[in-house]
Amino acid sequence: MEYSTEKRLRHIALAARLILSGVFIYASWDKILHPAAFAEAVFNYQLLPAQLINLVALILPWLELILGVLLLSGIWVSGAVLGINLLMVMFLAAMIINTARGLNISCGCFSTDMTSSGLSGWVVLRDVFFFSLSAYLLFVTTQANRLKKQPECVYTVNGPI
Amino acid sequence: MTRDAQYHPWIRSIRQLALIVLAAAAIALISNHFRPEPLPLVGNWSPEARLISPSGRQIAISQDEAKVLHQSRGAVFMDARPLDEYTKGHIQGAISIPWHEAEQRVMDVTADMANDAVIITYCDGDSCNLSKDLALLLENLGFSKVRILVNGWTLWQNAGLPIEAGN
Repeated sequence: MEYSTEKRLRHIALAARLILSGVFIYASWDKILHPAAFAEAVFNYQLLPAQLINLVALILPWLELILGVLLLSGIWVSGAVLGINLLMVMFLAAMIINTARGLNISCGCFSTDMTSSGLSGWVVLRDVFFFSLSAYLLFVTTQANRLKKQPECVYTVNGPI
Repeated sequence: MTRDAQYHPWIRSIRQLALIVLAAAAIALISNHFRPEPLPLVGNWSPEARLISPSGRQIAISQDEAKVLHQSRGAVFMDARPLDEYTKGHIQGAISIPWHEAEQRVMDVTADMANDAVIITYCDGDSCNLSKDLALLLENLGFSKVRILVNGWTLWQNAGLPIEAGN
């Protein structure tokens, strides 16, 4: 009985890991290809000082790609999970602030196309879902660390990779 | 068990993350450097610099220039804000072209205007894009001297320049 529960939790962690890594890798691609358009999206959020906009627009997509690849490959998972959680908190805060401001801007989440979906309750809800996955992985990682296990073990169904 | 696991659980994560961020920054800056058109690391995001027309023309106009053109009646002012805001108050003599019916209104208004007439569009607030959208529409229709007065309504009022209300 205990075995099956543990196995189910591992399945959930593995699914969360696959979904999140896919989302992050997919989200990074269009932005890496079109930095100027993504900078425009970052500017439209009106949260960053002008000096930082281009740097963030250049580095953030690569950070997303690397975090996604690490999470997928099982290398440095605890660092990647922490990074993904911090990014999700930042993304959510940025969206909620601008939804509250009533700003009609494009999300810039998966596409740099300015006519793509704007911020809305559904976009925020989507990110809440992703954040719940990443928060679960963070919980699992810390648990594994507390048990002095390699966290990588927890993400696969059949023990360490 | 690696030596890593002896650390406090968070320390390993934070150390890994720091290296991940550094790697991302390095790759981003290097790949940007070798792009055909690198993005400048610090961009100019001032309202004026953002207003470049597709033909590369600087289309923002300064308040002083706009004031001179207004006094000499050398330019047509177009108000891109919604009609109710226009009715409450606008630059004296400005024509209302609310963005949602811009195409039709522009056709009506510009029917007998020369292509080289000076047109100044404005709306309100640094981040208001309506005046830019309107200016680009006008340029597409062949008007070659379209300018934008960034944050026009607020600037005009603050400077005590002539305004009027109503339709």
